[in-house]
Amino acid sequence: MTETERAVDDAERARDQGGGPRRWRPLPRRLVRDELGVLIVLGLLIAGIGIPYPDFLDTDNLLSTAHNSVYISLMACGMVFALAMREVDLSVGGTYAMCLVVGALVVRDGTTPWLAVPVMLVTGIALGVFNALVTTLLALPSFIVTLGTLMLYRGVGLALADGKQITDLPLNDSFFTFAGGDPGGVPFALWVLLTVVAVLAVVLARTRFGARVRAIGSNPDAAAFSGIPVVRTRIQALGLSGLTTACAAALALAFYGAGDPTLGQGYELQAIAACIIGGTPLAGGRGSVVGAVAGAMILSVVAAGLVFFEIPINWTSFATGGVILVAVAADSVLRRTGRRRDK
Amino acid sequence: MTYGDILVAQGLVKSYGGVRALDGAGIRLRGGEVHALVGENGAGKSTLVRILSGALAADEGAVRLAKDTRIAAVSQELSLFPDLTVRENLFPHQPPRRLGLLDRGAMDRAARPVLAELGLDADLGMELGELTLADQQLTEIARAVLRRPRLLILDEPTSALPAAAVDRLERVLHTLTGRGIAVLYVTHFLEEVMRFAQRVTVLRDGQVALAGVRRQEVDVPELVSAMLGGRPEQPPRRSRTVVDLPPPVVLSEVSVPGKLADVTFTVRAGEVVGVAGLQGAGHLSALEVVCGRTAVSAGRVDIGGHGRPHSLRDAVRAGVAFVPSDRKRYGLMVDRTVWENTTAVSWLALGRGGFVPSRSELVRRTVDLTERLRLRGGPYDLVARLSGGNQQKVVFAKWLATEPRIVVLDDPTRGVDVGVRGEMHRIVGELAAGGAAVLIASTDLAELTEVCDRVLVFVRGRLTGEVHGERLTEHALAVAMQQGTSASG
Repeated sequence: MTETERAVDDAERARDQGGGPRRWRPLPRRLVRDELGVLIVLGLLIAGIGIPYPDFLDTDNLLSTAHNSVYISLMACGMVFALAMREVDLSVGGTYAMCLVVGALVVRDGTTPWLAVPVMLVTGIALGVFNALVTTLLALPSFIVTLGTLMLYRGVGLALADGKQITDLPLNDSFFTFAGGDPGGVPFALWVLLTVVAVLAVVLARTRFGARVRAIGSNPDAAAFSGIPVVRTRIQALGLSGLTTACAAALALAFYGAGDPTLGQGYELQAIAACIIGGTPLAGGRGSVVGAVAGAMILSVVAAGLVFFEIPINWTSFATGGVILVAVAADSVLRRTGRRRDK
Repeated sequence: MTYGDILVAQGLVKSYGGVRALDGAGIRLRGGEVHALVGENGAGKSTLVRILSGALAADEGAVRLAKDTRIAAVSQELSLFPDLTVRENLFPHQPPRRLGLLDRGAMDRAARPVLAELGLDADLGMELGELTLADQQLTEIARAVLRRPRLLILDEPTSALPAAAVDRLERVLHTLTGRGIAVLYVTHFLEEVMRFAQRVTVLRDGQVALAGVRRQEVDVPELVSAMLGGRPEQPPRRSRTVVDLPPPVVLSEVSVPGKLADVTFTVRAGEVVGVAGLQGAGHLSALEVVCGRTAVSAGRVDIGGHGRPHSLRDAVRAGVAFVPSDRKRYGLMVDRTVWENTTAVSWLALGRGGFVPSRSELVRRTVDLTERLRLRGGPYDLVARLSGGNQQKVVFAKWLATEPRIVVLDDPTRGVDVGVRGEMHRIVGELAAGGAAVLIASTDLAELTEVCDRVLVFVRGRLTGEVHGERLTEHALAVAMQQGTSASG
């Protein structure tokens, strides 16, 4: 190596390691930057409704709006992992219904209601793992497999529940009063969501599992050629998606105090929409748990806002669709200008 | 019967960037003759073919065609539609129609005589994908012939074909030339040249080394000399100390259906062994066996003392590093940073560093490797922004991080400049000196002669010879690769 080359190398290394613009940004700042677009949209929406209708900013109203998004949010948290590795889990709506029914049946049969929680979570994981195994063994896209299991799981739920709501649960039990209540003035479900988001955001960004998921999504061929265990990672990711969905089902059981096999219709598409709004591309390789939850919140805020604006209920779907398009467009524009600044 | 000139090209020059792909090349094609065009990779064959077929304009020079000459080209990569029927594939541009609907009757009437002439016995309504590869290729030739060309260009038509199909192609060529068609036949297989062609032109470095000589006037060694030219041979290689341990790579009477037959070889620790062969000769299949990508039907494989790897992941855990030829597709995550790529095997695949390693530790390890490889770029740079040579260094770095005992390289210096190529060769030497067993394939024969202790030569799925020591020259390799290529097998 000549002297000049060495000098250039040293300069580059100094730039890379010390203080320069290329320095690795600490996690919180990166989070804010990557999720900036979707958080701005969420803020603008809340302001846009709250300024003409200050009642919307009422704490109780904000909490209940957030509470409404919990189920979709949890599903979206797991879905991020599936999407980031170029899989998709369409079965979450069915998984949700089946877990709900299984949990309600366990409680009705006289078991301590709290014991229903592990049963539901294990069921959810099992359903997710089943999706991954079928996807792998039949070498089919998970899109197709989970389209089938979506109806399959819901069908099992309907059959187990005999097509009816499962009621007559011991609603005085601490499970329903605490997990379905508002400890500390905030719905229990929101505490759970907060914990899950914190844990999964770190799992996706900082752990080996999260890095494997993103590596496979970034270039599946190269991942396989590097010896990364693609099948095992797929099982784990879809199992995780089942787990967060089961988590949502357990919270729904506690809150509603009944097992309704028809709940959760269309949740899978809302969860995917939330992920996409939150900056997780369908092409995989990247993902944001925080963004996905912000995306779910946006959908919930829009639904709540329509009530304030007294928009006829028949226009809800239209407005939600519009918001999805606007949010995705805004995020894309912000991302592109951000990238231009980078150069 | 003789026909006149169909095409005469003279003084063709074509540059890409600063590189002259063609430097005054020319060719003269006569009707009723098969004219072979041969040359090494990068000699300018495909550029010449593209200029002759009109797909590319030359910077200088002229191509003169006989009056009303239509040219049809069949390229190396089949350009067919596997989900359409054979009939639909034969008429891709202006299919005959009646009342706005495809006129199957008219298509069949036009196609049947051509197919019969070529000896393709296929149901026209069958989906093309159901045909064998050889029949698909014949379909493509039929499609070209249906356009009634006076010049037919066949680019590497036999590289994927079994021996029986090559025999059939010979008859097809005979039929076509009997009708006065000129055939330009581009190939790597010199024995086929001797079998099929009436004349042969050899390109070397964009120039004509042999211009349309009659087949009777040359033999295979002369063709090889013309292809390689009077390049100075390498200085005698230094001998390496080979560690006297059980060899990390053992293949014993290994067969893979349609790819390898009864192949036996070992690679010892500290040795750099090349594999060479023409396209489809099986040398790359041998690498796939070592990497656990191909199941074997017979024989014993032992890689790193772990037996036969059943998957790439198995092989990686047995200590194999695999640098693929297509680095963007199989080697890298280009939308990721350097450190994320360099840790993809050691951390993500082998788990070194644990479930949540410290990121600064991962980055520090990356910096160590990139310094050793003299990679220009920091650990946080996106791989997509690096040059090709530096990208290849990232691929090397991610495998060096695992301290591999067996290193498998497939065309490791494809598309990198001479400087990086030299550095790669230095690294390969260091790996061997450090006790790794290195197995390397390359489309660049000079590379094999430069880095290898010995080179295994494959022909049609069999290991037919080994070239080593003083005898390891490009010329010797090229001749060994050609031997027995047209024997039925």
